Amino acid sequence: MISGSRELTILRELELIVHAGESVAILGQSGAGKSTLLGLLAGLDHPSEGELLLFGESLTGLDEDGRAALRNGRVGFVFQNFQLLPTLTALENVLLPTELSVQNHREQRAREWLARVGLAERHDHLPRQLSGGEQQRVALARAFVTSPELVFADEPTGNLDPHTGERIIQTLFDLNHEQGTTLVLVTHDHALARRCDRCLQLVDGRLDAMELSEATS
Amino acid sequence: MSRRQVMGIGALCGLAARSLRRDLRAADVRALLIALMLAVAASTMMGFFLDRLERGLVRQAGQMMGGDLVLEQSDPFDDGLRRQLVEAGMRLSDQVDLVSMASRESAFQPVSIKAVDEAYPHYGSSRIDRGQGSEEVEHGPARGELWLSPRLRQLLDIELGESLQLGQSQFEVSAWLEREADQSTGFGSLNPRVMMHVEDLEATGLIQPGSRLEYEILAAGSAQSVEQLSPLLERLRQDGVEVRDVRHDRPRLGSALERADTYLSLAGLAAVLLAGVAVALSTRRYVERHLDSAALMRCFGASQATLIRLFGLQLLVLSVVAALLGAVLGLVGQALLVALMQPFLPMELPPPGWLPLWLGVLTALAVLGGFAGPTLLRLRRVSALKVLRRELDPLPASAWLMAAVAAGSFGALMWLYSGSFSLALGLLLGGLVALGAMWWLGGLILDALMWLVSRVAPGARQGWRHALQLGARQLTRRRSLSLGQLLAFAVTFFAMAMISLVRGDLVTTWQAQLPVDTPNHFAINIQPGERDAFAEQLAEISEARSDLYPMVRGRIVAINGQPPREAVPAEAQGENALRRELNLTWSSELPKGNRLVEGSWFDGVEVSGDWYAEVDNGQPPEAPISLESGLAERLGLAMGDRLSFSVGADTLTGVVTSIRDLDWDSFQPNFYVIFPPGVLDDFAHSFITAFHLDPLDASAGQTNPLASLVEAFPGVTLLDVDALLGQVREMLDQVTRAVELVLVFVLLAGISVLYAALIASHPVRAHESGLLRVFGAGTRMMARIQWAEFAIMGLAAGLLAVLLAEIAAAVLYLAWLDLPPKLHPLLWITLPLSAALLLGCVGQWLSRNIRRQAPTASLALLGDT
Repeated sequence: MISGSRELTILRELELIVHAGESVAILGQSGAGKSTLLGLLAGLDHPSEGELLLFGESLTGLDEDGRAALRNGRVGFVFQNFQLLPTLTALENVLLPTELSVQNHREQRAREWLARVGLAERHDHLPRQLSGGEQQRVALARAFVTSPELVFADEPTGNLDPHTGERIIQTLFDLNHEQGTTLVLVTHDHALARRCDRCLQLVDGRLDAMELSEATS
Repeated sequence: MSRRQVMGIGALCGLAARSLRRDLRAADVRALLIALMLAVAASTMMGFFLDRLERGLVRQAGQMMGGDLVLEQSDPFDDGLRRQLVEAGMRLSDQVDLVSMASRESAFQPVSIKAVDEAYPHYGSSRIDRGQGSEEVEHGPARGELWLSPRLRQLLDIELGESLQLGQSQFEVSAWLEREADQSTGFGSLNPRVMMHVEDLEATGLIQPGSRLEYEILAAGSAQSVEQLSPLLERLRQDGVEVRDVRHDRPRLGSALERADTYLSLAGLAAVLLAGVAVALSTRRYVERHLDSAALMRCFGASQATLIRLFGLQLLVLSVVAALLGAVLGLVGQALLVALMQPFLPMELPPPGWLPLWLGVLTALAVLGGFAGPTLLRLRRVSALKVLRRELDPLPASAWLMAAVAAGSFGALMWLYSGSFSLALGLLLGGLVALGAMWWLGGLILDALMWLVSRVAPGARQGWRHALQLGARQLTRRRSLSLGQLLAFAVTFFAMAMISLVRGDLVTTWQAQLPVDTPNHFAINIQPGERDAFAEQLAEISEARSDLYPMVRGRIVAINGQPPREAVPAEAQGENALRRELNLTWSSELPKGNRLVEGSWFDGVEVSGDWYAEVDNGQPPEAPISLESGLAERLGLAMGDRLSFSVGADTLTGVVTSIRDLDWDSFQPNFYVIFPPGVLDDFAHSFITAFHLDPLDASAGQTNPLASLVEAFPGVTLLDVDALLGQVREMLDQVTRAVELVLVFVLLAGISVLYAALIASHPVRAHESGLLRVFGAGTRMMARIQWAEFAIMGLAAGLLAVLLAEIAAAVLYLAWLDLPPKLHPLLWITLPLSAALLLGCVGQWLSRNIRRQAPTASLALLGDT
């Protein structure tokens, strides 16, 4: 992956296969290119060289729209900064991804998901009326509401205190196991990474496998 | 491919509606909606009102003409023509004008008879006195009755109830006619008026071959009906029928009305311009915020097409809702306006039409489409990565497209409003160049003010000076945002300044056009022998009087040797000047109020007293003549053309050596053709003059100064045109009032723009204020900083606006309104200062919530996205 006019190589010689149902953590320091890698994996960006397959389909020949169609309803996202729309209530934020396709009982499902993350009573609150942890729980409900096959999480606890972060992670993994979802998690938190099936470290644009015990240290 | 079904248009509409409903919680959408609504309300209110006023003015002009359409010829009209007119939706009234002799006992007096039918008058009312004081009536005299000009009372020594002989019949005088509903004939006929019923005319035996009769059909109907009749009217003109159409032949008030009309549409344009500014300001924030939701939607798998449809639909619904609400508001507003104005409006306005409503909706769509439409493309191209990277994609190509679409739709609107493509294009191109120049100039002004502030308050740490510094720093910190707002404010102040400048100069010009001592009396038939004595006696009773001009009646019989009808363009076939005798005059000097546009005056032309007797080579010599520019234009005449006149039994020819402009509204003796002295002297002539007499103050025991004049010069005819002058003044007053009212609305529209701008920039300001609070600024300090920031902005915007206004006003006056350009030094002081004060106060007031808010809340306003 090459970025900018000065040809800054961010990722190189990178090979990664994520199997269905697997949870993979990608570790790395700030600026190591974790988010760039996540963007590539999710088809939000395209690599300067190399090939990417999502759900077995090559992303290389697809334009933005093609990649978007591939994601539609099959991929969930959890962001570090929550990315809730400030003018939408909690319920409406959860509803947002369901609105792009024709689905039945959308609202009912969105309410169920809000209840699952413990925010049934707060459905009509705007993001600014919610705490950081609550906002991230809304984001979790939003990520799972379409029953995606794959969830990408970008530093999901980055903006939260350790205690709240722990609760969020617990919820994330519970939902993941329960739904049998594939999870790709980007973090710099080794404790968090340890909870995944597999752990990879991004150093100097290369991805190295890490032993779980290594990650815990 | 996707395992789910792609969204149908119905689902998309539902989503758009839901999104819009949720969107209404955001301040920017509310600001956009309000800005759009106010803009549409202002423009439709103005549109409605102007439309009605315009139609009212046309109707009043119609009243002066006697109808929307007047046909005149010397033979009776046939019924086929009447049917055609009625089928086109016109209401008809027949009228016959003639000059005849009226007699009572041994007294005889030539009178100008106007015979009217039951349908008279179409518009307005006549004022008569049946002996019980003045009353307004909307009909003509009944059969067997006559209404007489009060002048005849003295001339014929007659009273109400007595009989007057016209031709072979006697009629009872039933009322004095103080004012006619229509002043169409004006003083074309110089004899006192007698009004009668048209069916009585037959019995008088006055209709005979060779009598000078004018048959008229006065037709009233809608503009569409008149328009529909255009081909027929054209044919009639070619057949020699004189056709007057209220839209083209507004009598006398022409130039004032035209300017008012231009001004009013200019004001409408200013309102649209302000609408554009307000919407552009609100749209910016709206789009910024939607970039986030677009990126998120992309993440969730929305395609470009889905996004563009979604946001397009949202904007469409938004603009339609705003347009409808705005139009309703505009309708209510104009009704209030009319109710408010009714006591001052001497006429009743026709009901509001549909056109302004459509114009309002179209305005909303075009303004929003023009400004927000191109940004849709930005939303479409937004990358899902924005969510991860939290950055905006650079959009080099679409920025041009944006500007082009905005400019295009704006130009189309201007075209729609001004009705002139070249004007709209000129304004648009000029506007774009001006915008670039303004950006640069605004930067210079802002820099200059910053430098000034740094000199005024160097290193101040507290109080107003410190606030001034901090406020100035806020502006420079976000320079391009500040510049953008500065431009918006400058355009607003500029529009308001323009409208008020032009108003002031228009009204001054109008007032100057009919000063208080405008002649209100004409004296005609002054015989050459009486000339000096009359002038002497007139000088004793009137200070404001024109020169005495000789008048010789002459008819144009040839143009460049050809019969006139063959020599002039087709559209001039029905020209009055070809059908009637003209009043020719001579003068050694250019008459007051006349202006040479081509050629030179007769200076140095030596014409001896017996000029006409000198025959050179068997050909009569040709005299130099000066022609009025309007007539020259209508007849297609230019310098060097030769006009032959029959005067009495002779024919004489003149060569056009100069062309003059003159003001037909001036109530001065005006002439189409002027000869140098010495050519016409030997023909039978009399003199004419105009003079001003102050209204008689009976309580002071004043005697009528005219009485002595009449006594000394019984042959001289005096015409009192005070009523006509009054009507013209009234009309000018009314137009002035309308113009002032429109100014108020442009001001209101301008204030709405300020409001929109402040609301739209609210989050950024709140964020900054929050930070300042966090760093320890107190409420008072905050208030001062905010005041200083807005005031500096206002001062800069005011300076820029006044500069633009001077340039634009000069161009406008020269090119469009036909007024001489001038500088407005006072504006250079008042506008920047009042702009600073206004923005400072309004800005500070609108920011009061920010000051009251806890810093955390202010900081949260920007949100995370």
